[in-house]
Amino acid sequence: MSIFSVLVIARKEFRDAKRNRWLILYALIFGALSFSIVWLALSGTSSYSSVGFGRTAASLINMVILIVPLMGLTLGSLSVAGERDKKTMLYLLAQPVTKLEIIIGKYLGLSLALIVSLICGFGVTGIFIAVKAGSLQPILYAAFIFLTILLALISLSFGFLISVLVQKSVTAISTALFVWLFLVLFTDLGLMGTALVLNLRVRELFIITLSNPLQVYKIATILTLRGSLEVLGPGGIYATRTYGSILLPGLIAIMSASIIIPLGICYSVLCRKKDLR
Amino acid sequence: MRNIWRFIAVIAIIIFLNVDPSSMVKVAAEDISVGYIDSDQGRFHILDEAIQAANEGDTLHVFGGVHSSPVMISKSLSLIGHNRPVLDGENRGTVVKVTAPNVLIQGFTIANSGQSLDEENSGISVEASGVTVQGNQFENTLFGVYLKEAPNSQIRDNIIHTKSLDLPRRGDPIRVWYSNDVLIENNEITEGRDVILWYSERLIIRGNNVSGGRYGLHFMYCDDTTVENNWLVNNSVGAFLMYSRRLRFNRNYVSNNRGPSGFGVGLKDMDDAIIRHNLFVDNRIGASLDNSPREVDSTVLFDGNIFSFNDIGIKFTPSVRKNQFTNNSFEDNLEQVSIAGTTKFLDNLWSVDGIGNYWSDYVGYDADYDGKGDIPYESRKLFEQVLATHPNLRLFLFSPAVQSIDLAAKALPTIQPKPKLIDENPLMNISVPPATSIVVDSSSRPITILSLSLFLTVGALVYAPGLLTRQFDKNPPKKLPAEDSVLIVSGLTKRFDRVPIVKDISFSILPGEAVALWGSNGAGKSTLIHCILGIIPSEGKVNIGPLDLGNNPKDFRKSVGFVPQEINFHPDLDVLETLDFYSGLRRAHKSVGEKLLEDLDLYGHSNKKVGQLSGGLKQRLALALALLSDPPVLVLDEPTTNLDSNTRANFLTYLNELKTGGKTLIFASHRLEDVMHLADRVLVVEKGQVKKDCPVNIFSESIAENAI
Repeated sequence: MSIFSVLVIARKEFRDAKRNRWLILYALIFGALSFSIVWLALSGTSSYSSVGFGRTAASLINMVILIVPLMGLTLGSLSVAGERDKKTMLYLLAQPVTKLEIIIGKYLGLSLALIVSLICGFGVTGIFIAVKAGSLQPILYAAFIFLTILLALISLSFGFLISVLVQKSVTAISTALFVWLFLVLFTDLGLMGTALVLNLRVRELFIITLSNPLQVYKIATILTLRGSLEVLGPGGIYATRTYGSILLPGLIAIMSASIIIPLGICYSVLCRKKDLR
Repeated sequence: MRNIWRFIAVIAIIIFLNVDPSSMVKVAAEDISVGYIDSDQGRFHILDEAIQAANEGDTLHVFGGVHSSPVMISKSLSLIGHNRPVLDGENRGTVVKVTAPNVLIQGFTIANSGQSLDEENSGISVEASGVTVQGNQFENTLFGVYLKEAPNSQIRDNIIHTKSLDLPRRGDPIRVWYSNDVLIENNEITEGRDVILWYSERLIIRGNNVSGGRYGLHFMYCDDTTVENNWLVNNSVGAFLMYSRRLRFNRNYVSNNRGPSGFGVGLKDMDDAIIRHNLFVDNRIGASLDNSPREVDSTVLFDGNIFSFNDIGIKFTPSVRKNQFTNNSFEDNLEQVSIAGTTKFLDNLWSVDGIGNYWSDYVGYDADYDGKGDIPYESRKLFEQVLATHPNLRLFLFSPAVQSIDLAAKALPTIQPKPKLIDENPLMNISVPPATSIVVDSSSRPITILSLSLFLTVGALVYAPGLLTRQFDKNPPKKLPAEDSVLIVSGLTKRFDRVPIVKDISFSILPGEAVALWGSNGAGKSTLIHCILGIIPSEGKVNIGPLDLGNNPKDFRKSVGFVPQEINFHPDLDVLETLDFYSGLRRAHKSVGEKLLEDLDLYGHSNKKVGQLSGGLKQRLALALALLSDPPVLVLDEPTTNLDSNTRANFLTYLNELKTGGKTLIFASHRLEDVMHLADRVLVVEKGQVKKDCPVNIFSESIAENAI
């Protein structure tokens, strides 16, 4: 694999993403929402000059879980399928590049675009927090940004997989929306229902909850920001007591696997697919 | 580039200026000299001797020095330390033991008591009334100040930091035992176990800062006690009030008390307590009520408190009744009020004398502008009700699914639970406690630096791909010599769904030769070209000289320039950007692309979007891109289909020049003029097979004879 070719494709993908109306729209929505949440959180407490960033972060987590996967999934789903729709894939495949280089280059470029838009959103919000003199530990804020970036990369990976599996970008984007709805809503509802019907024990419930990468992100973020998971009740207390100091690295490992595994499947599907045009 | 460095330099200066210079100054080591004691009996150098010599009521001024313990005070003396003298227990027993009344101990560092919990090793142990412990610093002691049957004593302005041990092995920074009328004021207490206040009435606990312990304040049987203006933060429980009557808990700041208990304030069996004008912020549970009030004719009043950002604002154990809530503000607690189990609230008043509480999730209105909502506040979230019986599901908090459950319950009244509580007179605005002066340490400098760093990172990320590709650009690829570039196709077969579209095609093309693929639409020409380029996988072999498509597809494609039938480049890129992208992929220098633009008369269109170019310009651009790496072989699929006659003539002339210059050409066409103009040889393709391979003059004769 040539790093140079990967970088060339990544650069082009990044340039395309900057003009992508979806991404610009998402970035604006993300920035506006995170700004509004922090604004509301900070101005609501100015009357007695106290604020818990934990609580601001709770609202931010909720917003991130809704918006960021949508960003990643739709962008990712349009990557290869969009190229096919525009019939530009044929010419790209005639160039001295491999499929792996195309996938990695595209993934890198889009990741970069996502990271830049997220960091811009967080940067504006951070400056606002600084101006309003909110009590916020920068290391925690940085960790929150890092975990959110991981979540974006996970959803981008899933988006890429969708993009490779379907033929047209319309199908890709509708599949992405369904997957988003599934991850954000149906998985958790299903898990809650299962827990109630089967009367699952805390241990079982915690472990099956980790099957949803969004929940993994949520748990990791709360653990990072609060230092414990007691806010999540018996399940959270069980997790911190049982796994102790390996809990956070474990959660990050699960998130990293959620990035790599879909990308790996994506590459293997690409290699088996006879016609990519 | 210079601007970027300037920008980085400015940011670096800003960051440097933000660094607090005081943090760089090293605190000078304390000069501990040998001390002395001045008293009415003269000057002494040993504290014990000075105490022995002193008379009742004497004042001993202790100037500096380290004095070993135990210091036993059995006379009513005043010991006043100057230059912070140290009373060192050398990690054995209690450091100072007071058995006489009306003793004053002020201005000392009390250090290094023993570590025995059974012996209750303390910094200062007091077993007499009216003793004042003031302005001392406790370091590495198991217990701090221990008042045992020491009524009317005062513990004021001390800094108490007990031994750093595991929580169960720590001692209590302050313990008050059977000591009525004690004043504990303005002490700073960190990382102890519990401040224990048991069996002592009429205490005044005021202005203390208690953090990092288990129970910030723990009361048992402390009737008529006043607790006010204290900071209780980062403990497991801020204050636990138990078995007491008429306790007043006012104007305290209770924050971030977390852990398995995690109460801001816990009330157990408390009667006639008044909890007024406190801030309960960011605790696991703001206030926990367990069997309070206990007696039939008593109440507990919560008045003018703020419960903000707690996981649970107030938690009730079942059957808690007769609490009164008025003028409190419940702001953005994850669960405003919780009741364990499925029991209903009984006899708790949420509105007193027509004044209710502020609820941040109240969705009513105030049409008459009297500051009260015109419809009652009802707390009835479905998920909260589910949590009461299935607390495990709390794991799903912050999930959009939880909000969807509550939304569904609102939309479908049949599944909406009965209200947990009803506040008939909800307030429209937060009621800020009077004289609340909370100053939160909130330096914005670190977050400013972080935010600026974030924007720097964005800048770096935006430029990174460009800079990195430039770094790698320094190693251009090796080129295949033109004389080695014989194109050999052997046994090429392609099937779609087992139907062969290209059947066992073999041919070779010499360097500098131009070969036309002639055939009708659907004959398999384009598929054959795509197979030759490796865009679609096929059986058979394709080589250019030593380069094999199967084994080395990248180098193979580097030696082939391709002009497709349908020109589909990325329409949002302009000509220069397109050129830049494919130059990168083909490892061609920028100047090569620029020259090609000039040669193909495209320079004037450099800044046009590819989507805006005419068919002819696109075709020329495609040719320019194909020639970027100066490949020995050019493959063209119906290159003149979309061109008008003038443009086509020019295009063919240019291709002819390329052929003359030594390029090998293979092109698909069904235009006879193109073939005659350009080709040396013609492969007639029919139904995926090469039916005829002949020189162009033979081909033209066959055409004339209608043999093809």
